[in-house]
Amino acid sequence: MGPIEGLLYGFSIALTPGNLFACFIGVLVGTIVGILPGIGPVGAMALLLPSTFALQPATALIMLAGIYYGAMYGGSTTSILVNVPGEAASVVTAIEGYQMTRKGRAGAALTVAGAGSFVAGSLGVIGIVLASAWLAEQALRFGPPEYFAMALAGLLLLSRLSGGSVLQAFVLVAIGLALGTVGMEPISAVRRFTFGSTQLSQGIELVPVIMGLYGVAEVLLIAEVGAKRALIASVKLRELLPTRQEWRQSAGPIARGSVVGFFTGLIPGPAGVLSTFIAYALERKVSKTPERFGHGAIEGVAGPEAANNGATAGAMVPLLSLGIPFSPATAILLSALVITGIQPGPLLISQRPEVFWGVVASMYVGNILLLILNLPLVGLFVSVLRLPQHVLATLILLLCLVGAYSLNNSQLDLWVLVGFGIFGYGLRKLAIDPSPLVVALVLGPMMEKTLRQSLFMTRGSFVDILSRPLTMTLLLLGLAAVVAPWVIRRVRGAPVVSLPDAIR
Amino acid sequence: MTERLLALVVVAASGAYLLSAWPLPHGTTARPGAGFFPLMVGAFGAVMAVVWTVSAFRRPAAVSGPAEPGAPVEGFGRVVATAGSLVGFCLVLPYAGYPVAALVFTAVLLRWLGAGWRSALVIGLASAALSYYLFGIVLSVPLPRGVLFD
Repeated sequence: MGPIEGLLYGFSIALTPGNLFACFIGVLVGTIVGILPGIGPVGAMALLLPSTFALQPATALIMLAGIYYGAMYGGSTTSILVNVPGEAASVVTAIEGYQMTRKGRAGAALTVAGAGSFVAGSLGVIGIVLASAWLAEQALRFGPPEYFAMALAGLLLLSRLSGGSVLQAFVLVAIGLALGTVGMEPISAVRRFTFGSTQLSQGIELVPVIMGLYGVAEVLLIAEVGAKRALIASVKLRELLPTRQEWRQSAGPIARGSVVGFFTGLIPGPAGVLSTFIAYALERKVSKTPERFGHGAIEGVAGPEAANNGATAGAMVPLLSLGIPFSPATAILLSALVITGIQPGPLLISQRPEVFWGVVASMYVGNILLLILNLPLVGLFVSVLRLPQHVLATLILLLCLVGAYSLNNSQLDLWVLVGFGIFGYGLRKLAIDPSPLVVALVLGPMMEKTLRQSLFMTRGSFVDILSRPLTMTLLLLGLAAVVAPWVIRRVRGAPVVSLPDAIR
Repeated sequence: MTERLLALVVVAASGAYLLSAWPLPHGTTARPGAGFFPLMVGAFGAVMAVVWTVSAFRRPAAVSGPAEPGAPVEGFGRVVATAGSLVGFCLVLPYAGYPVAALVFTAVLLRWLGAGWRSALVIGLASAALSYYLFGIVLSVPLPRGVLFD
């Protein structure tokens, strides 16, 4: 199926009443959790995952993906209006967006943010189609060594890019991989680390781990800070229209942000956050009037807002074409695929076209829905913030508890949830990003399988595995990402700063 | 302080992991067994954890996290209370059943986090009932009903 007929076929699936409704629910939930502090898109996707078990695979994915990109819209709303980013990818938007609100241009900022997200989302759909089709075709020739190298290189890159120290990220990777080995081992059916428990022999579930790290941990932080109320600026419908000059200033940043975002999304790492920092820095660099930045420059809203939506699209590519997720959000999408009985991988496009094309087309539909939802109804959504924080915190926790229990009706998932919630709170206090743990937990079983297959193929020779051109390239790339800053520091004698710091 | 504590916990965990990975069949590199990968992961994790611990102890103890305005001790108290209620919920769920556990959990936690008794009770009742209806009846999750209702 070519890209155009594929997309048309995709629309015929995405526009069926059931899928349209799923898309609507997804983007609605996404917008709300994007606005609310305390639960982000990842936590919300984990919470809603159990409710998709009964759905068709395409429908389930359409809804969960809607939460993912919908949150990017909602997050920008609160960044602009109240200077409180609802999620991490909107932190940069607050810099210029809130300044615009103080100057009375909140409406223009919201509209440009929406338009930027929409353009980037739409361009991203085209990017996904082109990149996935190409990558999936290449991937048909990949053997176990290539898959192993890809996963390992991805984890190395992720460790480098996820913000904190590489050492801490490696510790998290090890924990994630170790958790992935718990349970019945698939090749020889040996029970590992189960201590005689039947529940443990089914392995550690991803969802309670994510709910703990991203839901419970966040609520514990809210509890620590205590009740705070946001002052909410009201926006009138008439003020939503940007002036002609504002549009002209935004067009370039939106285009650049879309491209930067998409390519950042392809790289393993916290693409949503990273892409906004890169786009912001880029706009300040290319601007003829950089002194306006920091005082409400609309380019600083348009670029990053386009970038974070482009990044969500880019992150879908490795998932849909290789079946490898490199971020917690796409990891959940992968589990949704697996639970509904779909084998992820390069054959997804040809064997389950309704899933691939349906989801891709739904992202376009979802972006239109988001534009309709967000701009006129912005006041309504922001009023969610008026909910007292302690009530919100308690309700999120109760939802996490009942949601985790409902996965397998097992007490074990509850303990995993609470344990990782407390662990995640510790990580947050140390400003350590938990995503390497999550991604390693998802990739671990695949890495073990492909490593063992590779060794079996080469009769135990690591040299033979490494000397395959693609595996060597991938591993060198991952290694370079980890050691490069250290080498540069040695050569230059300058301190190493992580990427977001450097841009700040 | 938080970092040192966390690092020590991870060292202990990786040691325990390695110990239980040891008896698994390792196989050879040409025919790796069920214990092969865990052993690699365990060794990697243990080394990383030890290096992390050493570097955490060599650094002067940093102030953990950004200092919040107001009373930090009180804030930490709320964290302990919240974590405690979560653990409490897990402990009593099999005996008290979901409706009771959820009601007590929400009401007590709301009260601790600053709500009045009356609103804590009302919100607790409403959310316990609603979530039981939604998950237990609509989605037919077999939530424990507890000794009171069985």
